[in-house]
Amino acid sequence: MAVSKCTRLNGPLIKQMLDSVDSVLFDCDGVIWRGDQAIPGAPDVINLLKKNGKKVFFVTNNSTKTRKMYADKMALMGFNATEDEVFGTAYCSAMYLKHVSRLQGKVYLIGSNAMRQELEKVGIQQTGVGPDPISGVQIDWANVPLDPEVKAVVVGFDEHFSYMKLNRALQYLNNPDCLLVGTNTDTRLPLEGGKAVPGTGCILKAVETAAQRQAQTVGKPNHFMYDCVASQFGLDRTRCLMVGDRLDTDILLGSNCGLKTLLTLTGVSTVADAEAHQESGCPKRLGMVPDYYVESIAELLPALQG
Amino acid sequence: MAGARALGFKGCRKIGGSQIRNLLNAKDFFLFDCDGVIWHGEEAITGAPKVVSSLIKHGKNVFFVTNNCTRPRKNYVNKFYRLGFTDVMQEQIFSSSYCSALYLRDVAKVQGKVFVIGGEGVRNELLQAGIPFVGDEDAPDGTIFNCALASDVKAVLVGHDDKFTFLKLAKASCYLRDPECLFLATDVDPWHPLQDGRILPGSGCLTAALEVATGRKAMVIGKPSPFMFECISSQFRVDPAQCLMVGDRLETDMLFGANCGLDTMLTLTGISQMKTAQEYRDSDHSTNQSFVPDYVVDTIADFLPAFED
Repeated sequence: MAVSKCTRLNGPLIKQMLDSVDSVLFDCDGVIWRGDQAIPGAPDVINLLKKNGKKVFFVTNNSTKTRKMYADKMALMGFNATEDEVFGTAYCSAMYLKHVSRLQGKVYLIGSNAMRQELEKVGIQQTGVGPDPISGVQIDWANVPLDPEVKAVVVGFDEHFSYMKLNRALQYLNNPDCLLVGTNTDTRLPLEGGKAVPGTGCILKAVETAAQRQAQTVGKPNHFMYDCVASQFGLDRTRCLMVGDRLDTDILLGSNCGLKTLLTLTGVSTVADAEAHQESGCPKRLGMVPDYYVESIAELLPALQG
Repeated sequence: MAGARALGFKGCRKIGGSQIRNLLNAKDFFLFDCDGVIWHGEEAITGAPKVVSSLIKHGKNVFFVTNNCTRPRKNYVNKFYRLGFTDVMQEQIFSSSYCSALYLRDVAKVQGKVFVIGGEGVRNELLQAGIPFVGDEDAPDGTIFNCALASDVKAVLVGHDDKFTFLKLAKASCYLRDPECLFLATDVDPWHPLQDGRILPGSGCLTAALEVATGRKAMVIGKPSPFMFECISSQFRVDPAQCLMVGDRLETDMLFGANCGLDTMLTLTGISQMKTAQEYRDSDHSTNQSFVPDYVVDTIADFLPAFED
């Protein structure tokens, strides 16, 4: 059974594919924008999809913005999008802790203000956000006062990450009942202006190494983010398309959830990467082979405008 | 006497009395880990100072091999003296920070600067070895969005750093984009214990973060890598068959001994327990055999009766 995969999407195939889906999930960085620059044609693609009656959602592993911050950014860039269509890991982690972990207690947070805000919105208090410089000596660090109400350590992107924060996390995690949740494992975080810095994956790895245990991750490729969207909007996964630029997060999420998948080449992964996974024959890697690929999502425009 | 393993001996043997005396007679070189073996924090393990001075008096060569890079060797000498180990000289102390400096100077022969993620223990050894280095003091106002990089950085060295920040991680990963830039770690211990049994994050956490950021693997200087034994061998004439490695951590000390072809002894005054050693011994995976000590003692003070003659 040869399932045709990694097909170049062009010509009449584009309209055929679009007609076969009712909902489209887009990754953001490298798909609809790069930093603070929209990918040329991307706003028109999103807006036309909606005009054509498709539901459109945004699914990003980036934990540095709340849904509102994303919606504001999109408005500035000409995307017709609303807050409830955006699913970032700050929001999804809060949802995960509230509805899956059913957390009763506080969070020790290594993360951004955006994460703090999303946690507060669901009624979960946190401690730890912001700079945390070291003071005192070794015995003081091992004896940092712990808030007895903390029941989970949550790790997202944190530019203030430090040895002291790593230490506090370790002290909380000495209790085996304390949860360890990470937003995502991406190794790089794209910044506005096109630069990139080490990603949340690095910070999470430091904490996992100290505590000698693995975190539960919320972000792509874990199916939770799709579940979040689906539970709020009643999606039919057989009529759903996932569009992304990373094979190991976006495309794998799509495969894991039984969605159609489209790779765009304006970001991280290449066709050669996809073909290498396809030729490997390794079952674990086949989930990273997209159904289709395009150079840029702008290639969908003629089919949408026609 | 050939290595204990060559005799088809399963390992993990608790020994005492005359067995220890025979072992002490058979070996000329004794390599000791420090934390959990000869001391706990600022307290010597009862009997340990007498064991060390007795070995030296009996003409044995004694070395200390530690992954702890929080102080330079000259400070370690002070600690040894303070805790009652009055015969120990600097030349006998091999720390992962000292050996990292040796690696950079004598093996890699690095031409250029080293970007250091580490404290005084690491920096002082680089200074002693004449190796120029930079930390992140050069641009105190730098942020991750806009930070200056030093020119001529040819190696990144990661050690224990309680002043570790995200900015240091970002800078190090920039330097390591150049495949010619060396990536060294003093050790990969994930945590280390304090006197009262509490633990603190180790260098291994910081190294792991940088490996994820760069997609590169660090070259590890400290145990279980055999490099520190190569350092000892380059300065002293050592026959591995004449050595006994005494430690408390199966995954570092025992593995180090196995990697260097040394007989190994686990002392139970530190991190690892007899039960774990036995589990490794009885497991099906052949790789686990390297964690199994040849001999086990409750404390190195068990050597003392062997000196009474």
